[in-house]
Amino acid sequence: MSDTPIIQIRNLSKSYGSKLVLKNLSLDIFPGQVLGYIGPNGAGKSTTVKILAGLIPDFEGEVFVNGFSMADDPLEIKKLIGYVPENAEIYDVLTPMEYLDFIGKLYGMEEASLHDRAKKLLVAFGLASNTDDRMDTFSKGMKQKVLLIAGIIHNPKIIILDEPLSGLDANAVIMIKELIMRLAKEGKTIFYCSHMMDIVEKVADRILLINKGEIIADGTFESLKQNHSDTLERIFSKLTGREDSGSEADAIINAFD
Amino acid sequence: MNKIFLRFVTFLNPVLENTGVDTDQLYQILKVKLLMDDRRPNAMFAARRNAANSNKVQSPWLISFFTVLIGLFMSMILLLNAGPYIVQTLYFTIFMVMMALTLISDFTTVLIDSRDQFILLPRPVNDRTIAVSRILHISIYVLRLALLQGLPGLVMIGFIDGILAVPLFFVQILEATFLSIFSVNIIYLLLMKSVSPQKFKDIISYFQIGFSVLIFATYYLLPRLINVSALEHISLLSHRWAYALPPVWITALNELLMHPGRSSFITGVLAVTGFTLPLIGLWFVAKVLAPGFNRRLAVIATSEGNSDSAVNTKKAGKFSFIDATGKIIAPDPIENAGFKITWKLAARTREFKMKVYPSFAYIPIYFIYFALNTKGENLSDRLDELQNGHSYIFLIYMCSLILTTVLMNISMSSKYKSAWVYYALPIDKPGKILSGMFKAIITLYYLPYFLVMGSVIVAVWGPQVINDIILAFLVSTIYGMLTALFIVKGLPFSRPVIAKQGGGRMITSFAMLIFIGGIGFLHSLLMKWEMVIWIMIAPFLLITWLMFHYYKKQTWDNIQVVEV
Repeated sequence: MSDTPIIQIRNLSKSYGSKLVLKNLSLDIFPGQVLGYIGPNGAGKSTTVKILAGLIPDFEGEVFVNGFSMADDPLEIKKLIGYVPENAEIYDVLTPMEYLDFIGKLYGMEEASLHDRAKKLLVAFGLASNTDDRMDTFSKGMKQKVLLIAGIIHNPKIIILDEPLSGLDANAVIMIKELIMRLAKEGKTIFYCSHMMDIVEKVADRILLINKGEIIADGTFESLKQNHSDTLERIFSKLTGREDSGSEADAIINAFD
Repeated sequence: MNKIFLRFVTFLNPVLENTGVDTDQLYQILKVKLLMDDRRPNAMFAARRNAANSNKVQSPWLISFFTVLIGLFMSMILLLNAGPYIVQTLYFTIFMVMMALTLISDFTTVLIDSRDQFILLPRPVNDRTIAVSRILHISIYVLRLALLQGLPGLVMIGFIDGILAVPLFFVQILEATFLSIFSVNIIYLLLMKSVSPQKFKDIISYFQIGFSVLIFATYYLLPRLINVSALEHISLLSHRWAYALPPVWITALNELLMHPGRSSFITGVLAVTGFTLPLIGLWFVAKVLAPGFNRRLAVIATSEGNSDSAVNTKKAGKFSFIDATGKIIAPDPIENAGFKITWKLAARTREFKMKVYPSFAYIPIYFIYFALNTKGENLSDRLDELQNGHSYIFLIYMCSLILTTVLMNISMSSKYKSAWVYYALPIDKPGKILSGMFKAIITLYYLPYFLVMGSVIVAVWGPQVINDIILAFLVSTIYGMLTALFIVKGLPFSRPVIAKQGGGRMITSFAMLIFIGGIGFLHSLLMKWEMVIWIMIAPFLLITWLMFHYYKKQTWDNIQVVEV
């Protein structure tokens, strides 16, 4: 692990109207880290991810990726990043091959190597027989696989995964978990954003907990366990102020009386 | 066809590169977008699985055919006998308005394709490339349309001004097209810079509604209001304001080269303006207006979720008119649910409003059209003539066309999949939802509209027509219910939007129209006896009540369930 951070976020703030979504967020991420980014709904997770992926250009503060500033060189940063969005938006009248061809060429890849890689990836993800079918007939999981491939096709240094396992079956989940660890070993930095605590617990070597636009916990799973509780789920609910989930359940049951 | 256009775009590469566009990326984006356009028609409909593959070719050709047909009607103008400039200026005005209209209605879907946000923005593509790709995408679409629309004009001008005028006319068509693109672009970009994203979409859709009403009104009313034979004596260029009209610049090119005898220095200036301005416009859009374009678009896509919540919280806890009326009109819980869901969705769904609202304006326009057709020297004469006649019967029954439009669209929605709840919940008689829906349509749209039209009619013809209005209301409610029974086969907002209707449905709705016309005719026969009309109201009230009663009893067998 190198000493210079690949992603530096300094005093990042973002507001929608009067509502402050991110409050002076500062963060260093180092190459090869698998960062688990968790937090309750509306905590500012997606906003951070979207700013990092270059989807939200107006924000306050500074974001540096590999020495490039997001405000000045967004294109250089976008070349380094592979982003798999949460909502499976895809041009679904295209076939996977056409879609990957399109995305790859936007990254300026050569057609021959692009097609070769796309084919290999489609085969590896178990979509070999669907290469030339239109994606509007695909299941959610199949589309998710295509999105994952589109996110890594240009061999990016940083991979941002926003809830990447939605709709995937158990086998695919195991495969993706394995893939994340292998990619990290290759020196890729992975920004993993999810609500599934058990998976974050397993794949991430650094966990960030964000609540109401602020980071409230930062460390390895082990260090978080020592200070707080024994599972990530418990740590999560303790730190985000929902410790008494038992009484909430009581209230729900009582509503039927 | 697409390949030709893509090849054409590569000619522009040197210019585009100067403004900072990545031409390789541009080519790829355009290629994919055009490919998607071609595939869209049959991919959009859920019915595609049942439909044979042969549909694929059909729809684009049909659309092309109609475009050529419209072009043919437009080119008839060229045959008019009038002074210099007039004919072509008129033609190009209509041409540009048609173009701008198509642009505005298609621009929204292309510009605010929310998927672009997640597919294009994370990639290393700069603002200019994306903005220019959007403009060119639209341009190619429009160019195809322009060529089809201009084709009859091209042939026509060959006969009028000789074969040399044909290539010239082609250039003129291009000028008109580029100018339309440019002006619509400016409107869009300015709107996006000055208006909040939420309002933007609304403004655009009201724009569209207004425009379609305008077109309709011009089509019906303009020929009645102006005198064609007077055109011959108008000298357009004697009016200073005429110099500012883009169609005049375009026409000047023809004047300069085809009729040099009657053209002057000013004609030359105008012609040059018409030639250079579209090019300057394209450059201006790419260089000045496009930067920051994506920023605004990103705001549109991201801010939506946040601003919505603020609006909704305000209303909670307040007295609700819908709840109160719903309780009285549709007391059954399931019926009440159907009533409220229809009311709220109809009032809030943009695409539904777009389809239905214009028809509200069509009926008065129709009526004015017929009123203008009545004999009489001047306006007051015509009004007298109108008051003595019984044409109000015609007007009242025409109101039922609104019911048809609303009913035709009420079961369709692009978010039809949300209707799974109807199929998942234990609803024994979907007829209850349908009757709730029908009552909502009547109270939300039909009754208010009818009251407004009714008061206008009473104001013109006097209070003795009230009985006719009441009877007509009952009759058209029955008509509406019949339409609902035979045509509306789905629950509210539960079916995908389908462009073309089956032949059977067309015949049914035609039969309905004849039916309502027949009833209206019978009504006008009975009008001599005022008392009869009053008496007729009673049995029709009974029939209406009975029909509601049976309408409610519809079972799932009568409803087409769409696979969700």
